[in-house]
Amino acid sequence: MKLEIQEVSKQYRRGVLALNRFSLELKPGVLGLLGPNGAGKTTLMTILATITRATEGRVLWKGTDIARDPDALRSVLGYLPQDFGVYPNLNAVEFLEYLAAVKGLDSATATRRIDELLELVNLTEVRKRPLGGYSGGMKQRVGIAQALLNDPQLLIVDEPTAGLDPEERVRFRNLLSDLSGERIVILSTHIVSDVEATATDIAIIAKGVLVAHAAPEALLRQVEGKVWEWVIPSAELNAAKGRFLVSSTTRRSDGVHVRILGEAAPIGAVPVPSNLEDAYLYCLSQHRAGAQPGVQQ
Amino acid sequence: MSRPRALYQLVRADFLERVRRYSFLLTLAFSVYLGYAVYAGQITLQLDKYRGVNNSAWLGSVIGLVASFWLTLVGFYIVKNAIQRDRQTRVGQILATTPISKSFYTLSKALSNFAVLGAMVLVLALAALVIQFSQGVDSNIDLFALVSPVLIFGLSAVAVAAALAVLFESLPVLRGGVGNIFYFFLWTALITFSVATLGKGPWFPTSSGFTDFTGIASLMGQMQAQVRALDPQYNGNVSFSIGGLHPTTETFLWTGLKWTPALLISRGMLFAIAVALALLAALFFDRFDPARAGWLTAKRQRSTSKSAAPEPAPTQAPAKSFEQSVLDLPQPHLSAAHLTPLLRTASQAGSRTRFFALAAAELRLLLRGHAWWWSTVAAGLFIACLFSPLDAARSGVLVAAWLWPALIWSQMGTREAQFSTGPLIFSAPHAVPRQLLATYAAGVLVAAITGGGLGLHLLYERDFAGLIAWATGALFIPALALVLGVASGSRKFFEALYTAWWYVGPLHHIHGLDFMGTTAASSTPAPYLAAAVLLMLLAYSWRRVRLAYA
Repeated sequence: MKLEIQEVSKQYRRGVLALNRFSLELKPGVLGLLGPNGAGKTTLMTILATITRATEGRVLWKGTDIARDPDALRSVLGYLPQDFGVYPNLNAVEFLEYLAAVKGLDSATATRRIDELLELVNLTEVRKRPLGGYSGGMKQRVGIAQALLNDPQLLIVDEPTAGLDPEERVRFRNLLSDLSGERIVILSTHIVSDVEATATDIAIIAKGVLVAHAAPEALLRQVEGKVWEWVIPSAELNAAKGRFLVSSTTRRSDGVHVRILGEAAPIGAVPVPSNLEDAYLYCLSQHRAGAQPGVQQ
Repeated sequence: MSRPRALYQLVRADFLERVRRYSFLLTLAFSVYLGYAVYAGQITLQLDKYRGVNNSAWLGSVIGLVASFWLTLVGFYIVKNAIQRDRQTRVGQILATTPISKSFYTLSKALSNFAVLGAMVLVLALAALVIQFSQGVDSNIDLFALVSPVLIFGLSAVAVAAALAVLFESLPVLRGGVGNIFYFFLWTALITFSVATLGKGPWFPTSSGFTDFTGIASLMGQMQAQVRALDPQYNGNVSFSIGGLHPTTETFLWTGLKWTPALLISRGMLFAIAVALALLAALFFDRFDPARAGWLTAKRQRSTSKSAAPEPAPTQAPAKSFEQSVLDLPQPHLSAAHLTPLLRTASQAGSRTRFFALAAAELRLLLRGHAWWWSTVAAGLFIACLFSPLDAARSGVLVAAWLWPALIWSQMGTREAQFSTGPLIFSAPHAVPRQLLATYAAGVLVAAITGGGLGLHLLYERDFAGLIAWATGALFIPALALVLGVASGSRKFFEALYTAWWYVGPLHHIHGLDFMGTTAASSTPAPYLAAAVLLMLLAYSWRRVRLAYA
């Protein structure tokens, strides 16, 4: 099972280039696709989900070009878009039954699968309630359930934790970890902690270009020895932000604890263990500076 | 910011948002088409055997009537989405938190509607100039006589339509399809009323503003007086029609409208009426308050919330850490690892069965949300079709039975855009042809069920020609709904066109326009059968092109 993205570009009307010769090869596991807002993540997701076509390049699913034969992928595809709607007059069961019919599942399979999925996403109690009365987080869980209806081999989830409360977010992360195995899961997000918890591979995208593709450990190794914590008076914080790449700040009684990324430490700073957020910011800063992060697999 | 400036900015933003859409080009193209139809003689104004010499006054008067007549009908449907757009884009919720009053908002929306329709009137005024250059027998252009009827009749009439659109959008009961259908009958009634006053005197001194909002009575009154002065035998007949019913044999020199103070005041009154309607709309406007989203919706939500279980509340104890609280939550019994795997070979078998399941699901979606009384009336019409005398059932009851589900058919092809479910549906295998056919099948079933009484009646009477005409209607109407829904993403185009067509064709049993085959004489099933197939192909192609995949 392999998904190959080969030199894919997407240019919208008025010349906006959302993806620029993007290449990636995916095997079973969870790929965390990270990038700032407007990086091209959603464009890539919609191309992989056969919603839109690439302007250039091709995407191969098990060797088949999905632009030529999209149904080869669609029959094993689960897709949770960033923005989607529901039919407000249907309840969760009816809505999932409708989508199961659209996806071509037979009635008995659909019934069993819907029961299991509603239990999985914790909606069994409200299964008969019209979707129009659901909260945003509950609708998102219906979206997760529909993506899993056909037991997909390729699961694409675009900003899946948007609208979920912290507890449901933790549940969803666990769910994604459980789902990986003999399937490819693509998790697109700008929330690094979601990726940190689940991804077996990470791709970082910025301005439509692949900045880095590596295992989390490889990304972390890249910033080892380059993360510092520096305690400064709050009055000096703005000056510090101007001079260094600041990963985070925490105000405490002894001053502001500033987490800094850099080759050299300022006087008084102490080295601290790196995390994925540091690695992500470091990769983006290197990319903006024109340097190659150098962690391509 | 001063109030006039705030009003200007509100109108400007709304106007720019509309005119920068491709659909605005279509509305301008419609104006150009109206001008062309006058030029090509497809829209004619006749006074019995007379028509005017093609001078500035005649062309201006005809195009002025076209502007006020057609743009008040079609234009209403074009602009009846100003508040809905703010609701959908959620800009409305932002506006609702600002200090602007409800009346200020509805007035700004009416003005924005007026600006859009006014642009269409201006295009028609330009068309009048072009037509006189290219076709006028009289090469002397009298700019005032040419343009003044277009601008004065057209702008005052569309001002009312613009304000009515806001009023309809503000009233929950008229906001949707019911309002779209009701407006057609309101417009028809107003036109009928103003035309009915014609011929009641040697000339018609109209000063009634709203009842003659298109200006047809004022204009025709003066024209009748002029023809009568020329020909005392003139019988007072007038016709303003598409296609021209009778060939004209005589011409007369129309010297142009006399803009009497009474006439100008009556046109000015229409602007005042428009402002009053816009302010009246403010009384019903809900200011984007979801709690006031119409009594029907609210009632439905109340009834469902009574039976529904509340969202499971988190059981987080305040003293525990977040991680601990998550561990303490009641976990689902299943984990993803325990989901029953699908057998792909089994799930891919029996595609015919699954198509029927999909069609049944589409039918359920179409019928969902309608109250019990809708079904009761439909059942009554079914029974009336079955037991009325055959001729009465065919020419009368069926016409009603197939208007009744208009709001059901108008959903076809629009739901995916309306509810943003497109990405979920169209990423499924073979979704475009399967789902489109299933939707169509559900629409045909609705026609077969609601008009089924007549179908059975015709079968019982062995009237097979009638049965073919009936079946053609059942196939044609959903195809029309589907193609308009897929192409526009909106329900109102089908609702407006279908109601108008229903009124002109089946209700009056007009040969060629009667797609239901309500009488043997007016029935022409073959072209409508071919049209149904063509419309389905169009719907498929449109969706395929839109999605880039299929």
